[in-house]
Amino acid sequence: MTDDRSASTGTLPHPQASVAPNTGVTLAPVQTSRARVTEYTIGTLALVGTVATVWLGVWVTPPDKVQGDLVRLVYIHPGVAWVALYLAFGLAAVSSLLYLWPRTRSLFWDRLAAASVEVGVVFNICTLVSGSIWGKPTWGVWWVWDARLTLTAVLLIMFLGYMALRRVPAEPEVRARRSAFVALFAAVDVPLVHFSVNWWNTLHQGATVLNANLSPQIHGSMAWTLLLGFVALTLLFVWMLLVRYRIGVLEDWLADNELDLALAERQSEGAGLDDKSPSDQGGAA
Amino acid sequence: MWRDAVLVAGKDLRIEFRSRVALSQVAPFGLGALALFAFALGPDRVIMAKGAPGLFWVAVLFCTVLAIQRSVSVESANGARDGLRLSGIDPAGLYLGKSAAVAVQLVVLEVLLAAGVVLLYGARIAVPWLIVASCALGTIGLAATGTLYGALSSGLRVRETLLPFLLLPIVAPVLLAGTRIWQAGMAGGTPSDGTQWLRLLVVFDAVYLAIGVALFGPIQETA
Amino acid sequence: MRYVVGGYVFILVVLFLYAVQLVWRRRRLARAVSQVAQVAQVAAAAPPVPLRATAGRSIDAVPIAEDPT
Repeated sequence: MTDDRSASTGTLPHPQASVAPNTGVTLAPVQTSRARVTEYTIGTLALVGTVATVWLGVWVTPPDKVQGDLVRLVYIHPGVAWVALYLAFGLAAVSSLLYLWPRTRSLFWDRLAAASVEVGVVFNICTLVSGSIWGKPTWGVWWVWDARLTLTAVLLIMFLGYMALRRVPAEPEVRARRSAFVALFAAVDVPLVHFSVNWWNTLHQGATVLNANLSPQIHGSMAWTLLLGFVALTLLFVWMLLVRYRIGVLEDWLADNELDLALAERQSEGAGLDDKSPSDQGGAA
Repeated sequence: MWRDAVLVAGKDLRIEFRSRVALSQVAPFGLGALALFAFALGPDRVIMAKGAPGLFWVAVLFCTVLAIQRSVSVESANGARDGLRLSGIDPAGLYLGKSAAVAVQLVVLEVLLAAGVVLLYGARIAVPWLIVASCALGTIGLAATGTLYGALSSGLRVRETLLPFLLLPIVAPVLLAGTRIWQAGMAGGTPSDGTQWLRLLVVFDAVYLAIGVALFGPIQETA
Repeated sequence: MRYVVGGYVFILVVLFLYAVQLVWRRRRLARAVSQVAQVAQVAAAAPPVPLRATAGRSIDAVPIAEDPT
């Protein structure tokens, strides 16, 4: 992560942090070399892991007795689902809570939550589409109101709502609090939706056993590939999170300093002018 | 807290009584929605009777959104929101009061919509207490969550589009439970199916009321 | 089998495109930030312009420019 904690706490910047003493512009956030190395390492591992998972999943592992080749989707679909539903959402919820908690309040948690939600949306869409693609040959239709798919869809809408709320212009602290509350309320709702949709589905469809996931015994190369898939996708999520977090830091810094920069530019324009009659000078800052 | 709640609820209901927005605008909209559903699903009364529980609750959800918008916008004139905060009213009381006012309006609307559904769709109610219980508990849940989200989005100019977007996924359990309980209570349904859903509604209501009472104060400072 | 391929392709393409977008977005922002920091430094180096030409003097002492008409 970057070392810009002072710029991210929302408190007044330390006077010596100002790179431009006559302007209000604060110190530009710089990525430490340790953060860069971490990012590159995780990114490379994620890439290698993903490629390996694909290769193993599509070519090396054997087809299933029951599902045939379709089982190959098990190496990525549960993986993206785990990232979207548990990792991304869970992280967003915990970060939001930590932001709201007075002792740990820091815009770091807010930016982390926002990054987590955005990356989570991408993985969520992957989950829904891959689940749907798996469903078509399995159930015969592109969509069923299966409990898990429905919950994933509802979660997607909640994620999108969170992102829409964040786009409303506001002070960073206000935006952070608002978003954190929304995330908290959504988090509380998820178990309720989970139970509702499960009961709803079983009542409706009776004993439809969704066999789209694992055969009872998954062993050997299949098990290892499954594990690799989870690990690779998790690493990919972490890498995307790091980059997206960094983007949040930069965006916030730019938004913070736009006005100060414009003022500084006006001042530096005025510096070149002679002392003419006052109405000719637009020097008021 | 309770005294403040009664005060605020009384104020909101009095405003509603004098302006009659819910009665003259939201109710016709709800009934109009029922008509639209009828047009959409065709004149076959069998289908409509089967769909009646769900359609009822969807109409209720639409009305909830409108009622919440109204509840929020009532405070936006003349700096009323700041006035409320400065007046020293307990935020939890304010929350409960506003929720109660919304709930009362929704109950009135639901009576109308239920009558509409029975008359227009040919729905036949077999176990009335289930219907009443689902409406009561469901309304509490809708009012509780709606007031929360209304407060969160109260200062925003995009509130009209943002509030339904944020609120409706959250109240999905209420919609599911309400529909199921109604189905259990209709002629031809199994009443015992309804009880677990009633329990879910109780949990939902308790959770969001607790959240509202605890957090309404901090939320207000955000808007 | 084509479902399997379809599933894999979709996921990989979406993740890849999103990753590319992230990297591009960060690069663009980093460039903007460094530009802003540079301009800020230039502005800081320039001597501060007095806020008004009246600095230290009474405002009545400063003549208003004649109206050309």
